[in-house]
Amino acid sequence: MRPYLVIIFISVLFSAGAVDFKKDIQPLLKNKCSRCHSGHEAKGDFSINTRDSLLKAAKPGDSGSSLLFQLITSKDPEERMPSKGEALTPKQVAMVKTWIDEGIVWPKDYSFAQWRKAPLAPRTVKLPPVKNGLKNPVDRLLQSYFNKKGVKQWKLVDDRIFLRRAYLDLIGLLPTPDQYRSFSEDRDSAKYEKVVDALLANDEHYMQHWISFWNDAFRNSYTRQYHGGNKYRLTNWLKTSLKANKPYDKFAHELISPNSGEQAAFIDGIKWRGTVNSSQVVEMQAAQNVAQVFLGLNLKCASCHDSFINSWTLDQSYAFASVFANAPMEKHRCDKPTGNKVSAGFLYPELGKVDPKASRKVRLKQLADLMTKKENGRFSRVIVNRLWASFFGRGLVDPVDEMDNEPWSSDLLDWLAQDFASNGHDLKRTMRLLATSQAYRLASVNPTPNQKPKDYTFKGPLTKRLRAEQLLDGLEQLGEAASPPPNRLAFKRHGLRNLDRLMRILGRPKRDQVATSRDPQPTTLQALELSNGEIMHKAVQRVGAKWASGKRTTDQLIEDLFQNAFLRRPTQKEKMLAASLLEAKPSNATVSDLVWAIILQPEFQLIH
Amino acid sequence: MNNRREFLKTASSATLAALAAGAPNVTADSAPRSEWPTPKADSIILLWMAGGMAAPDTFDPKRYVPFDVGVPLEKIISTFPAIDTNVDGIKITEGLENVAKVMDRGTLIRTHKVADLGHILHSRHQYHWHTGYEPPITVAAPHIGSWVAKSLGPRNPAIPPFIDVGQVMSAGGETEALKAFHTAGFLGSEHGPFMIPNPDLAAKAVQPPAGMDAGRFSNRYKAFKKLAESSPIARHGSSYQRDSLLRSMENAYRILNDKKAASAFDISLEEKDSFAKYNTGEFGRGCLLARRLVEAGARFIEVTTGYYPFKKWDTHENGHTTVRQMKREIDQPIAQLILDLETRGLLDRTLVVLASEFSRDMIIEGVPGSSARDQSRAKTDVLKEMKHYGQHRHFTGSGSVLMFGGGIKRGFLYGETAEERPLLSVKNPVTIPDLHATIFHALGIPADHNYEIEKRPFYLTKDGKGKPIPALFA
Repeated sequence: MRPYLVIIFISVLFSAGAVDFKKDIQPLLKNKCSRCHSGHEAKGDFSINTRDSLLKAAKPGDSGSSLLFQLITSKDPEERMPSKGEALTPKQVAMVKTWIDEGIVWPKDYSFAQWRKAPLAPRTVKLPPVKNGLKNPVDRLLQSYFNKKGVKQWKLVDDRIFLRRAYLDLIGLLPTPDQYRSFSEDRDSAKYEKVVDALLANDEHYMQHWISFWNDAFRNSYTRQYHGGNKYRLTNWLKTSLKANKPYDKFAHELISPNSGEQAAFIDGIKWRGTVNSSQVVEMQAAQNVAQVFLGLNLKCASCHDSFINSWTLDQSYAFASVFANAPMEKHRCDKPTGNKVSAGFLYPELGKVDPKASRKVRLKQLADLMTKKENGRFSRVIVNRLWASFFGRGLVDPVDEMDNEPWSSDLLDWLAQDFASNGHDLKRTMRLLATSQAYRLASVNPTPNQKPKDYTFKGPLTKRLRAEQLLDGLEQLGEAASPPPNRLAFKRHGLRNLDRLMRILGRPKRDQVATSRDPQPTTLQALELSNGEIMHKAVQRVGAKWASGKRTTDQLIEDLFQNAFLRRPTQKEKMLAASLLEAKPSNATVSDLVWAIILQPEFQLIH
Repeated sequence: MNNRREFLKTASSATLAALAAGAPNVTADSAPRSEWPTPKADSIILLWMAGGMAAPDTFDPKRYVPFDVGVPLEKIISTFPAIDTNVDGIKITEGLENVAKVMDRGTLIRTHKVADLGHILHSRHQYHWHTGYEPPITVAAPHIGSWVAKSLGPRNPAIPPFIDVGQVMSAGGETEALKAFHTAGFLGSEHGPFMIPNPDLAAKAVQPPAGMDAGRFSNRYKAFKKLAESSPIARHGSSYQRDSLLRSMENAYRILNDKKAASAFDISLEEKDSFAKYNTGEFGRGCLLARRLVEAGARFIEVTTGYYPFKKWDTHENGHTTVRQMKREIDQPIAQLILDLETRGLLDRTLVVLASEFSRDMIIEGVPGSSARDQSRAKTDVLKEMKHYGQHRHFTGSGSVLMFGGGIKRGFLYGETAEERPLLSVKNPVTIPDLHATIFHALGIPADHNYEIEKRPFYLTKDGKGKPIPALFA
């Protein structure tokens, strides 16, 4: 009886016309077949890329004599498809049967081999007219986005939240209560621009903050990496370049076509002793890292075989890697030599060529020229998108290293990129544009975990978490606030310190690999380290002792700590809680405990 | 495609017949290929012999020649005589008498064959063993403990699911490589190792910081929590990030405030006689800690002898003398660990694995034909002094692994190595992916289990290809 019931069940569920290619079939083929039978892959000489190629194993209107159908229903584990992973469920099998019997409906021109390729050329975007007094181009472009998406916009945060945001995002430090007071008392409507300009003009602190961002990206570790690691570091070059706000095209040019051992540290990669996988030789590392950091594309898969996740092929990766090599490299497929040499070539020949016969030095120069030339719109899009993500918590394109993905506003991305490229590749100019927009002053939004790009609507900056360096600098700042200036910022900022256990656990990368974002997810191990780790404990005791040694009354102590940590007065309830922790006579111990309880508050650890 | 297609056409008439009878049901009844196996163990203790434990001087005795000035090295294979174990046909070497007495509880694999990574650096091979991937690779590979922590989670929420005992993150030029694999990699730091560099100080790792009593610690956390609850920011309602931060703090507090868990970490609470049986050094006390933690509900614990270049198992000279000391350090605690787990009825559900990144030989570096540079410090062809006596070169062609509990066969020997140099695996070689697959299988995790990173699947065993070895299971 059972088989009979199944047939009835199926026919009820999938009567004629019930199967939809886009909804039912495409995801099924994508999940179950595409790894071996689409894109560059055609195992057994069979590909589902197009309807035509699929017809090799399927007969429209006749599932019974379709090989594809026979294979997905086979009892023989040797012949059953998919050969990897789970078999199709009865429901899925029934869907495929209906689909074939109905004649294999296939949308015109649809192909599984297609990956979205973002346009390469720069695009001029016409700014919408100024409305509602919103002059900043970011806001002018966003206004039409909001209208289209039906977002009720422009609920702005107060001065306190804005100022903390701006300080932490631009120079990585907390504003002091004095700085906040003078800002909030300023009646000038241009005060937002003024404070952003002042922060950006603080070259030293700008550098000390942003160096972490670039150290992560260029995997510049202050300490020796591995046996055989190169001796040069980018540190001094980075410091100088950031302080001078070196134009970004020049900045990138120097790293791709280096004039010194120091500048070469990025493309020289890490030389491991012994044999390494052919996808990890230094030339291939250079190809992967330059592509990731400056072009926002992933060549890692294509360093072993034609990629399954994008359109890049093994040949293209080897051609690109050969630019960094002394001689054409031998192509290896999945670490096996093929005997074929691949001569140097650029990833986007439409922008121009690298001369494979030229010397390495000349080739690198040609490559750096191609990367930074005006026609390469991608170069600018990548960096403005990274900056957007730094300020707003999520890129216009997400993830930031997959720049072929669709931006949620291509107008905004393209306008910012064009503006950046035609105004001297000035990083601070773009930062200023972002930080002085009303968009940046919007109330922060809770991130939704694992949200897909297509489900994301921009409504304001995401709530961000302090990075390891920001949190620990903040603690130091709190310590300095115990006694008045001139001791301000006398401590060595954490972005300039060697990696220690605490920072490592708090998410600062080891910098053996390119890292363009940090995991904001708090973890139990982090909380353990913050609760009883030695480095943290000592730092908190030090700060606590400073506060305890002052002549403040308990009341004043609580007021001042809250002002410095949160730029606000404690509530009555908070005062009471703090006072009961401090006990009758505050001691080093109880004050330290209050400092700890304050700086671990979500209000302190998050940028709202 | 033609051949296969023709073949399938013939073969598929049966399929078609089945189809007519309602074939979709067939697929419903057939097991999915990557079905999760039934777990045989809930916990795992990995005993890591860091630095390259020489099989001919430990678990794979060969021709023994005592020290004598003038003996050519090529005549000697083992520098320790063989001893009997309590299993007929399994011999190990002198100095492991206690392990010999528990051999009937487990399996000895002699043919663990690892990759020869050219210039044979310990840290690279340790990275390979611990992650299943040869460094460098394009993504940060997770430690085997992180895979287990991520796949299975903690057994007891008051005990971190991945605990690493005995490794100080300092190994000269190899420090960074050590750090590189003591991480959850792309799985995220939630699944990273809870590091206890010194087992004697383990209790401190789960106690309030130095100088803070339990009362103060608890007050501090309570004040933190109340402040968070009464913060004006909290009035905006729940927030994903705020809630995750508070949850992580709560988890940490639970761990740091759980008296039962804390006492599991405190080996000084062990009864005197029992403590003495483990008290052979840090490794021995690490074994004791592991046992206490398994009793309290730990998931994955690694206890290492510690990697310190040219020390411990890293014998580039004076091998015989050093290995004698190492055996003193490991023999009794390992045997006691097995016996204690058994007495407590825990051995069945606990997998104990002893392994090393590679073995050693007196004469051959790597395997025959390897381009590896000879790293021996005791360069000589004949014995002149004691420091020449021992296994001083890295050997990757075979190595010994012990497995106890967790459904593994008892009193079993697997694999066979050559009697004469090169001491290659001649029967049943066991690769890292297959050994890992076996471990994962015992824990109930399929070897092709994977998580996605940068849009591609990343597998527990390299490319999901590790195969559990059925012969090892009872």
